Amino acid sequence: MSFLAPLFFAGLAAVAVPILVHLIQRERKTIIAFPSLMFIRRIPYQSVERRRIHNWFLLMMRVAAMALLVAAFARPFFAVDPVKAAAALGGAREVVILLDRSASMGYGDHWARAQAEAKKIADSIGGADRATLVLFGTGAEEAVRATSDGGRLGAAIADAKVSSDATRYAPALRLAQSILTRSPLPRKQAVLISDFQRSGWEKQEEISMPDGAELTPISVGTPETANLSVTSVKFQRTSFQGEERVVLTAGLTNRGATTIKAQDVKLEVDGRVVDTRQVSIDPNASGSVSFPQMTVAAPMRAVIRAGTDALPADNVFNFVLSPSRPVSVLVVQAEGAASSLYLTTALGIGTSPPFKSEVLTPSRVTPASFEKRSVVILNDATPLGTQAEEALNRFVTQGGGLFVVLGDRTPMSAAATLLPGKLGPAVERLRTGTGTLGFLDHSHPIFEGFKDPKSGNFSVIRFFKVRGLTPGPTDKVLARFDDGSAAMVERAVGSGRVIAFASTLDKSWNDFPIQHLFLPLVHQTVSYLGQYREPDAWYVVGRTLDVSVPIAAIVREGGAGDANTAARRPSGVVMTPSGSQVTIGEGGAQAVELAEQGFYSVRLQGLGDRKPFQVAVNLDPTESDLSSLPTAEFVATATGHAAVTASGQSLENPNLTPEDIEKKQAVWWYLFAAGAALLLAEAVVANRLSKRFGFGLS
Amino acid sequence: METHALPGARFVDPKVLARIKDLSLLARNVVDGFINGLHRAPYFGASVDFAEHRGYVPGDDIRRVDWKLFARTDRYFVKQYEADTNANLVILLDVSKSMGFASDEVSKLQYASFLAASLGYLSHRQRDRVGIITFDEDVVSRVPPSAKHFNVMLHTLDRSKAERPGRLIAMLDKMAEFFKRRSIVVLISDLYESPSDILEALKPYRSLNNDLVVFHVLDPAEISFPYTEASRFQDLESGEEVPVVPEVFAEQYRAMMKEHIAALAGKCAESRIDYLQLTTNQPLDEALFYYLGNRERLMRVR
Repeated sequence: MSFLAPLFFAGLAAVAVPILVHLIQRERKTIIAFPSLMFIRRIPYQSVERRRIHNWFLLMMRVAAMALLVAAFARPFFAVDPVKAAAALGGAREVVILLDRSASMGYGDHWARAQAEAKKIADSIGGADRATLVLFGTGAEEAVRATSDGGRLGAAIADAKVSSDATRYAPALRLAQSILTRSPLPRKQAVLISDFQRSGWEKQEEISMPDGAELTPISVGTPETANLSVTSVKFQRTSFQGEERVVLTAGLTNRGATTIKAQDVKLEVDGRVVDTRQVSIDPNASGSVSFPQMTVAAPMRAVIRAGTDALPADNVFNFVLSPSRPVSVLVVQAEGAASSLYLTTALGIGTSPPFKSEVLTPSRVTPASFEKRSVVILNDATPLGTQAEEALNRFVTQGGGLFVVLGDRTPMSAAATLLPGKLGPAVERLRTGTGTLGFLDHSHPIFEGFKDPKSGNFSVIRFFKVRGLTPGPTDKVLARFDDGSAAMVERAVGSGRVIAFASTLDKSWNDFPIQHLFLPLVHQTVSYLGQYREPDAWYVVGRTLDVSVPIAAIVREGGAGDANTAARRPSGVVMTPSGSQVTIGEGGAQAVELAEQGFYSVRLQGLGDRKPFQVAVNLDPTESDLSSLPTAEFVATATGHAAVTASGQSLENPNLTPEDIEKKQAVWWYLFAAGAALLLAEAVVANRLSKRFGFGLS
Repeated sequence: METHALPGARFVDPKVLARIKDLSLLARNVVDGFINGLHRAPYFGASVDFAEHRGYVPGDDIRRVDWKLFARTDRYFVKQYEADTNANLVILLDVSKSMGFASDEVSKLQYASFLAASLGYLSHRQRDRVGIITFDEDVVSRVPPSAKHFNVMLHTLDRSKAERPGRLIAMLDKMAEFFKRRSIVVLISDLYESPSDILEALKPYRSLNNDLVVFHVLDPAEISFPYTEASRFQDLESGEEVPVVPEVFAEQYRAMMKEHIAALAGKCAESRIDYLQLTTNQPLDEALFYYLGNRERLMRVR
């Protein structure tokens, strides 16, 4: 037998109390105040004889009661071997080790401590137990499936590394919930080892652990943290003499309790430090630093570095510094016509994005005319030549945009697949009054910006003449005239888009060009067709990169539409920052998960020595916020059962801890009850003896 | 507790006074001063404390007519003086800590205060001068005898608290020096001293021809010693503790106390000192009535 609190045996001295009571019971300490002891002093004092103990039964009851109470407070338990102890505590365990490997775990020694805690638990796994190692960041994965092999678990823990992921607890807890729910073992435990970043937990994400399962949080976080992070970069672009210049402003946040003074902030472009500035930031505040303007001619890798601290990953901010490129538009109009005046004027006004337009007649359009074009506009044009039409087909199929403006002329043959719908004759609307637009698909990106009632009234546009257009079954009608006939129809062709407009863009058939809606609608339509998208200077870890983004960029740069189709096939590889390669495009992945901090390089086949498309990836800004959630609060909100909250104690040899065994056996309770019962019996016996003998109990 | 407008008035309980108002406290010996009423006086004279005028009535001593007033008013007025008193009553009250003992509701000091106030009131009504000296290990307060000091005496009684140990013999020696004129001296104490020492200390009072009365106030527990359980007894005055087993001690104690009281009574009688032992459960009026009746009888004999 062992005792949890053997020091309580000092209380056995209390056994002497009843013995002393028996021995000196006659000498009571009652003090009586008396006026004068003049006479009492004269009487010789006779010491009271210490009486013999003659009621041994009563004495033994008192002594036994005292001894039992002392033994109860000493918390005795019977030591048993581990196997029996495990059986006593409910049998084998199913343990899920949830190890946080998010970027914030790279702070100081957090990761090393987390690995050590996980290793302890792995070492405690017995022969009948099973444990699963789950590594989690934004998502969760089973690094080691349920096993009793502590060695495997330990090796996997040692091999695990901090990722660039943000912290999300819900996926890991749901995975643990799933594993524990399926487990047939009687004891179920999930151990969450993390820094318990507050930003990683949404309280509404309630997890339902199976009955009896215990969630044990182990925090490796540090109460006081200091962290400087670069959170953003802003570009201020200006154009001067045909050159684009950019002023960079980096945003920094100090999440520490001390002021950061004169911190060097470096700007690196293509691996070379081009400028260094200094910044001072108050505690828990943000600051910014601007770098002088620089000329941007081609996409460049750029990095902002701001010193180093316990979490170096967020002291670096990657981005791609690219020049803004205008949307190149080829306008084709009929010989001798001047129908493109309003259109080209409208395109010339555009700044975001800028448009660069060129007007050609059909006879002058060659396949090379589509090089470096994003959009082709057939503005009431006559049919192109055969080669040019084929090149146009390829251009559109590979992602180019085609805008067909319909007037009296027929731009292409009836068999052409590019034209969305079947052309009909021109319809005079003056006979029935002028026509107007009666329906707009505001869910479409072109009209989405006009959804607000105050953003434009298309019904004010008067149409005098329209071209009959019957959309095909796969075509999408974006706008209709008030008589129900199609006004704007879209067709998807390959990677490209084609939109037909059943009236002209000059004043011959309508007054649209002189309406205020003309300019924005032309910009919206051409941008949509050119699949223009402001290039992302950086992405956040965890985002998925759609491969169409680099492909579209290459198209904008004129890589598509070339005669050599094999060389321009949109497929290629993505090189991750860690050096691994992922095939994309045709025959490969259509999307790549950006899981690492750094630069991804996208290289399409057939681009020769052209610089690869760069994608910069940074940590989720929330990872820089190291404020932690109290573990008790976390478990309470995670499970909705505060009662199952564990204290975060180590689970190493949990079956063998004396506290657990003592708690399970609860021997103290029986001793306490026996002692109390003895005291009660003693009171009864003492009372009867007192009445019988009429004096004390000795 | 019953309240009274005059402090200490509770000590002159009307129930007590109803029994003794017809009795007179007669001085056994002639004391200095003028005699009016029942007192006998060796000298003729007048009090010097003028009180008031009253109209002349036939039979009044013509020498007491205020002629100056007659000259101003053309009417006869007789001067009256404050005190027709002839005797000094001085009460020596023991307020030592042992007097605070109470086995029941009334402590010895309370009982003694009742007794002193009753005597004072009675004397005041007889126009005697009353005074009081309270003492423990020293003189606590002293009120010289005067016809106007009855209220002061009551105040003194009211303030008395048994707080300090007492030195009865030393205090009796000291207080004897206060008496220059013949007085009725009343000693109220629990008399925890040797009877012979007490009588020795009272001798000076006798030599001044004072009329000496000793009230020996005790608590019933001090006489009957009703304790049964072995305890430690603590001396109220010295704080000394003595283990006592009453079943062994009680009989001896009672015998010693009885012997003490008897010795005091015998020695007082020998010295012509009136002695009365009172217990705090003894009705005060009965005790006074018995004592004063006894005193009157003795006076007549003399």
